[in-house]
Amino acid sequence: MINTLMRSLPLKMAFLLLLTLQTAGAQQTASNPLAPLQPSSAASLPQETYRSVVRIEVATQVPNYREPWKAGRFSGGIGTGFLIGPNLFLTNAHVVSNARRLLITMHGAARKHPAKILHIAHDCDLALLEVDDFTPFMGLHHFQIGGVPKLESQVRVIGYPVGGNRISVTRGVVSRIDFNTYSHSRSDQHLVVQIDAAINPGNSGGPVLQDGKVVGVAFQGLRSADNTGYMIPTPVVRRFLTDIKDGSYDKYVDLGISDFPMFNPAMQKKFGLTPTSPGVLVAAVTPDGPCDGVLQKDDILTAINSNAVDAAGNILIEGEKVNMNEIVERKFSGDQVTLSVIRDGKAMDVTCTLKPFPPSQMYAVQYDVKPRYTSFAGLVLQPLDRNLYSAQNLTNTRVRRLFTHYLDEAIFKEREDIVILTRVLSDPINTHLSGHVGTAIESINGVKVSSLKHAHDLLHPEELPEFFTIRCEGIERPIIIPGDKAEDASQRTQSSYGITSPANLEH
Amino acid sequence: MNQKYSFSTFCFSLFFVFTSCCDKESCQNKKNSHEPEQQSTINTSNAEASVIRQSLVRINSTIQVWSASQPWDKSAPKKRRALGALLQGNRVLTTAEMAADATYIELENADNTRIIPAKVTAIDYEANLALLEPDNGDTDSFFKDLKPLGLGSAAKIGDRVDVWQLEDNGMPIVTDAVIQSVDIVSSFANGHFFLTYEAKGSMQSASNSFTVPVIRNGKLLGLLSSYDSKDQIVDIIAPEIIQAFIADTSDGDYVGFPSLGIGITSTVDPSFRDWLKLSDDLGGLYVTKIRKDSAAQKAGLEKGDVIININDKAIGRRGYYSDEQYGRLYWSHLIRGSLKQGDSVELTILRGGEQKQLTATLSRPEEPLVARDTYDQAPLYLLKGGLIFQELTATYLKAFGKEWQSKAPLNLLDIMMTPEDYEQDRNKIVFLSAVIPTPATTGYERLRNFIINKVNGHTVADISSLIEAFKQAGADGLHTIEFAEGPPRTIYLDAQISDTVDAELLKRGIPALTRE
Repeated sequence: MINTLMRSLPLKMAFLLLLTLQTAGAQQTASNPLAPLQPSSAASLPQETYRSVVRIEVATQVPNYREPWKAGRFSGGIGTGFLIGPNLFLTNAHVVSNARRLLITMHGAARKHPAKILHIAHDCDLALLEVDDFTPFMGLHHFQIGGVPKLESQVRVIGYPVGGNRISVTRGVVSRIDFNTYSHSRSDQHLVVQIDAAINPGNSGGPVLQDGKVVGVAFQGLRSADNTGYMIPTPVVRRFLTDIKDGSYDKYVDLGISDFPMFNPAMQKKFGLTPTSPGVLVAAVTPDGPCDGVLQKDDILTAINSNAVDAAGNILIEGEKVNMNEIVERKFSGDQVTLSVIRDGKAMDVTCTLKPFPPSQMYAVQYDVKPRYTSFAGLVLQPLDRNLYSAQNLTNTRVRRLFTHYLDEAIFKEREDIVILTRVLSDPINTHLSGHVGTAIESINGVKVSSLKHAHDLLHPEELPEFFTIRCEGIERPIIIPGDKAEDASQRTQSSYGITSPANLEH
Repeated sequence: MNQKYSFSTFCFSLFFVFTSCCDKESCQNKKNSHEPEQQSTINTSNAEASVIRQSLVRINSTIQVWSASQPWDKSAPKKRRALGALLQGNRVLTTAEMAADATYIELENADNTRIIPAKVTAIDYEANLALLEPDNGDTDSFFKDLKPLGLGSAAKIGDRVDVWQLEDNGMPIVTDAVIQSVDIVSSFANGHFFLTYEAKGSMQSASNSFTVPVIRNGKLLGLLSSYDSKDQIVDIIAPEIIQAFIADTSDGDYVGFPSLGIGITSTVDPSFRDWLKLSDDLGGLYVTKIRKDSAAQKAGLEKGDVIININDKAIGRRGYYSDEQYGRLYWSHLIRGSLKQGDSVELTILRGGEQKQLTATLSRPEEPLVARDTYDQAPLYLLKGGLIFQELTATYLKAFGKEWQSKAPLNLLDIMMTPEDYEQDRNKIVFLSAVIPTPATTGYERLRNFIINKVNGHTVADISSLIEAFKQAGADGLHTIEFAEGPPRTIYLDAQISDTVDAELLKRGIPALTRE
């Protein structure tokens, strides 16, 4: 279980009590003494540089996906950030997600400086902040971004973890360099460096230093293990800083393929390969993805941009074996990559132009957006996404299937949204519905539903039908709402359940 | 498919298990404190009581189910003890729960002086009934001083009944109970509901008992199928069901209870009724599912029809009708509890606002794509080079634990929910359940729960056709295995290596590579 290392703010307000519970586990383990800096180390930092590591205090408003018309939950937390340029503070996206107020405090100073988000990248958990008035920070050290640290080399982690209010420094060794999940979005995998320094809630967004340069941003830990901290390495940081140069963040791009390792002797024989041959099997190509029409199922992918791909799908970069996607990871939308493949026994080169693939957002946790929904005669309809999936207990097998196969079965082509009936607010008109909650809406008055907006329009036609017939997937018995009674029921349920706005169709 | 959804959870929690961990002393105390009361409430005279005690037979059975993950193995055996009722012809009636998956059953007299091995002559997992007979042994001396019980007739609400238990020492414990309600309940195989008496009575832990006989007027009224100690409610399998079961066994060829083969939902919702054009004087059940080749399908019933009458009995909005004997009863009793296979049923239905008359000839439903009740059936499998292929059953999915409906693999669950999407070219679903790491399966270790479409170009309809398809590898010496979904969609297996592996697996103690 990977968890992000942000610290919840101990605000003394009754309605925030839940938060202290959230951090109960973290509080118990937070007893690391400040690791002293060794003066003998060539890379020792002048005390002054600590002042460039700032404490970020965040007040958040987390949207409510169970009752989407509500304002959401007010809470907050503490994270770390550091200065990398004139009025540019780097931190984690998860530290400042859903933020309503941001305050930055310098090490050793009491003043809280209001700040705002310049750029935020949820897919790689990075954000850039600026303070309203940079004057007090003038002349402070700007951290330089370094390279990828070697295995077994020592690093320092600086931040504001639980256990005290002042800055904390810990040291550790680089234990692993790997591709791994970024738990903030839950759907993205990038390069991750694992270190054995004790990094704890509150360290999130703090710099990891080696030879006076930043080699990573501390961001997540492992619940099931001690002394395993993860940092975002500099290739990911650099990519983020490059991506935003044009003034906006455009997200990661990927190939949109699944690969399968070429370990099996029969598999190798079938494709005319030997145990030492390079190449991984292209097991599936995402429809409409960047490689649709470029790569085919059963191609053997042998190289990306002339980097040989091994049987497990790894390449060698800077002396380290990493996942072949690392090549694409450093590219941007519109860039091209050359893929060397063996197709039907013939070697050939094909070119793939990388592009964003919006349907994949189905699986990424969304932040800073208001949940979409519509309501009708007490029925609440919401589009399926990761947030809804986590918030509602969606157990219906059809819904789970639609979610799981949204991309590979190209369901997105016909259904921009999978519309879920998430709630039936009791009203005389709907009180005898059962078994429909938690299923996907298939059609309304015989028309297949393609998006939330579409469902909303079908439920609010210019001419009222005698009956609204709403069919849910996997359920034979339709929901019937008499046309002339629908509007009254909508009004009644809105007033009695406190739904201030009957619909929110846009983010 | 005669399902009554409101009961499905209720019945799960009520297994009647008197565990052996009860310490002797407390049992003793309980018994003593209850004894004076019992004397006054027993509905049977002392003379009658000694006769009934001669009709009780202890049943000790050893149950062993197959392993879901390693289908060639059996799980650890469990023991169950119960009290059966001796019927005419040296036959002992008990619940199916006692006999399903039994590897050994023995009968023991009340005095613990004689034991004889027994075999199952008829078993109905749906109605939870089984009939046992002695199997090789000194039958005459076992039964010499025992007296068979007669079958009782239907009781009514308010009737008093006796629940019979035996202590380890052979002393009877008779508990007085009053029938409080009559309902349709599923007591063993999921989703099968039969007429059940629910009686109020305070029972106690005696000798471990999975089921015990219930007596009224010196005759066998029914078998206790579960006891809820909190509410002190005893569920009793009704005499009509027992009589039908016994009658079915008489020709030696057990057929089973008939079914219409439909799924239904209520028509309480007024808007839904308006849409269906159902007038207020009618009840009605909305048909949501029709099983393939079922009696309902052959009769011409369609999804979306509303059943108004069954054999001239008006069916209410929630599915209840007025029964002469019991009052309001669920409609499925009209089919399953009152009729037998081959009988015809008159259905009045509403289709498109117009009433229609249909005649259905009752039958037994064919085994579905994903078999539900696989008691006494070993899982069918093929082991090839370390790949484990199995036929999908509900038993396999349920092996994922209490929360199997969310824990079991999604694609396999989906087949169980909507088999009609998968029936093309298939009798059964064959899937790759797991991979044993071997030289032949290098790189495949993490593959599991993939449905098999084809092997070596042949469509796989069941385990037998899979075995057949593996007999001839491709010219390149490779087996080609195609999955219904991926990735990967296709994997290959070296025929020679996998044959060597198979021989090795047999040497390492796997008893057989297939079961078909």
